[in-house]
Amino acid sequence: MKSVPMLSSAFLHPAGETLPEPLLALRKERASALVDMPLPTRKTENWKYSSKYLKLADDMAISLPAEGKTGNSLAVPGYKVVFINGVMIPEASEYPDLDGIQITSFSDLDSDKAKALAAKLGSTLNHDQAQFARLNGARFEDGLFIRLKPGAVLDQPLFIIHETNADASGSAYPRIFVESGANSQLTLVEEYISSGDAQVLVNTVTEFSLADGANVTSIRLNMEGENVQHIGATGVLQQRSSRFESHCVGFGGPLRRHDLQVRLEGEGAETKLNGVVVTQGKQHYDNHTSIDHVAAHCNSEETYRNIAADQSHAVFNGRIHIHQDAQKSNADMNNKNLLLSNGAEIDTKPELEIYADDVKCAHGATIGQLDETSVFYLVSRGIGRRQANVLLTMAFINELVQQIPVEAVRETAQARLSDFFEQTFQEA
Amino acid sequence: MLSIKNLHASVEGKEILKGINLEIKAGEVHAIMGPNGSGKSTLSQVLAGNDAFEVTEGEVTLNGDNLLDLETEERAREGIFLAFQYPVEIPGVSNLQFLRTAVNAMRKHKGEDEMNAAEFMKLAKEVSKQVDLDPAFLKRGVNEGFSGGEKKRNEIMQALLLQPKLAILDETDSGLDIDALKVVSDGVNALRSEDRAILMVTHYQRLLNHIVPDYVHVLAGGKIIKSGGRELALELEEKGYGWLGIKDDDTSN
Ligand SMILES: Nc1ncnc2c1ncn2[C@@H]1O[C@H](COP(=O)(O)OP(=O)(O)OP(=O)(O)O)[C@@H](O)[C@H]1O
Ligand SMILES: [Mg+2]
Repeated sequence: MKSVPMLSSAFLHPAGETLPEPLLALRKERASALVDMPLPTRKTENWKYSSKYLKLADDMAISLPAEGKTGNSLAVPGYKVVFINGVMIPEASEYPDLDGIQITSFSDLDSDKAKALAAKLGSTLNHDQAQFARLNGARFEDGLFIRLKPGAVLDQPLFIIHETNADASGSAYPRIFVESGANSQLTLVEEYISSGDAQVLVNTVTEFSLADGANVTSIRLNMEGENVQHIGATGVLQQRSSRFESHCVGFGGPLRRHDLQVRLEGEGAETKLNGVVVTQGKQHYDNHTSIDHVAAHCNSEETYRNIAADQSHAVFNGRIHIHQDAQKSNADMNNKNLLLSNGAEIDTKPELEIYADDVKCAHGATIGQLDETSVFYLVSRGIGRRQANVLLTMAFINELVQQIPVEAVRETAQARLSDFFEQTFQEA
Repeated sequence: MLSIKNLHASVEGKEILKGINLEIKAGEVHAIMGPNGSGKSTLSQVLAGNDAFEVTEGEVTLNGDNLLDLETEERAREGIFLAFQYPVEIPGVSNLQFLRTAVNAMRKHKGEDEMNAAEFMKLAKEVSKQVDLDPAFLKRGVNEGFSGGEKKRNEIMQALLLQPKLAILDETDSGLDIDALKVVSDGVNALRSEDRAILMVTHYQRLLNHIVPDYVHVLAGGKIIKSGGRELALELEEKGYGWLGIKDDDTSN
């Protein structure tokens, strides 16, 4: 038997000692648990379509320095926190001191708060399904802690710009923890971008803990470059009557992986997950989502769309687990896929585990191509074939893009998507 | 303007058009009638450039140029317009966006400036009024959830916006109530001009009361078996197709 490949020990040495002691201790403990972390292979069920894209070289274990260009030039209609290579850059960040709302970098937490955070960090995730969240736990150098007291409302979206500065090979480990108190409200935008062109790994973890009645909207834009392998995980814990809404827009790359795990732990919680992925060339993107209906009377609604062109490869795996006590659960999952070329590949898999008897659970997945009749209709009006293709491809995801609640993000996403498709159909 | 000589076309290896000859001059209105399945829509689609149909023989010229060499979008830009028998629903593309993209593609081809959103909105509202379609339809997806009659009015709206040289109307009258028929006919009549030609496929003489054709042709079994003036339509209505030696539902002739 061939031995299983292990994560190189080069990856077990965190850098950056600016974290408060309780977090340093936590990181150390997690690093020692990583000593024999197997790397995913074709045989690893939740990585079987994607393991071949994972290419970790030892020089990528080095922590990227927290310096270089900042995302300063980005004007955002809201509050802004900028991270470079996983470390917060206060000079580039702009957010006010608001009543009942704490926005602090991990490094700036006092010992008590750091201790409290250390107890919670990682608690929203099932690490067996999101193995690389462990690596982040052993390597994060900084992070953003957001805490809303009960009833607090963040009046504008908070943008977290995660820029990876890849002037040399290495890796970055962005981390966010959001604690949303009872009936608090927050819209968070995570933008992942990159500069430079050395081979790098970006390994993220974002966690949301929603108390009773909390209302959180999360928008995640993945727009990193062709030199970035991105493995991210988002964990969401929802208490009674809380509401979580997620909008993920992802552009392909050499390796793109996002695990999104939601646990509905309190009755009446609601979650809505939207996702759009586009890939071209030889790009890859893998979304693994998982919704656990633990408590009764919860609703989940999930809609993901993938568009794959050229020789690219998109993967969607949607797991819904309805626990025994989760009666009157309502779960709806829908995944539609558009293949723009014969050489492209899309793998989609629903995974339903239902242990309660009084539930509504609907799921559907389709894979199709551009409709020739529609193309003909458009070109018969004088519209060029390429433009017709762009219009129809945009139409396939338009419904989801239109639901992105922050106008500026919606427009950014729209513009980037339409550029992407213009490029996709260049030769056609 | 349009000259069709001995046109043969097949779909999936089956020959549908079996030698069509037709001359249409600028300013003329031609009506094509004929039994179901005789090839009327096929002829329309072939002229518009649908490559699901293969032209196996014959030639078609538009103002002397070989039409069959042109891509569908080039034909449209040269002035061919087809009002579809079954207009296509395209959710996710708004009618407004579709219409503006089409109009601007046409303007660009003619070397004119493209219209901005506000200019186009104004024009689109006027034209939608002309076909009695609420401007709210501009915001909806292309034909998405439109009733049969609304789809047909949307087709005429496109013809009015694009101002084609040759408008081919494939059963634009079917499924219309009396008022809508009037609206659509008025739209088509507004298109009539010295330098434009209209080819309309219909099953009903009643349309021809509103839009009086110069010529009527009977297409059966993939060939034009009879041509005449508008009185031919009246005769057909009275006697059916049997009189011409074909059964009403004959598709194989
Ligand atoms: N894509 C296709 N595949 C197979 N057969 C086709 C296709 N399109 C048309 N046909 C066949 O070609 C023949 C002519 O069809 P066409 O639609 O041109 O008739 P039509 O004269 O327009 O009839 P109608 O009055 O019912 O609209 C029919 O027998 C039809 O079934
Ligand atoms: Mg027909």
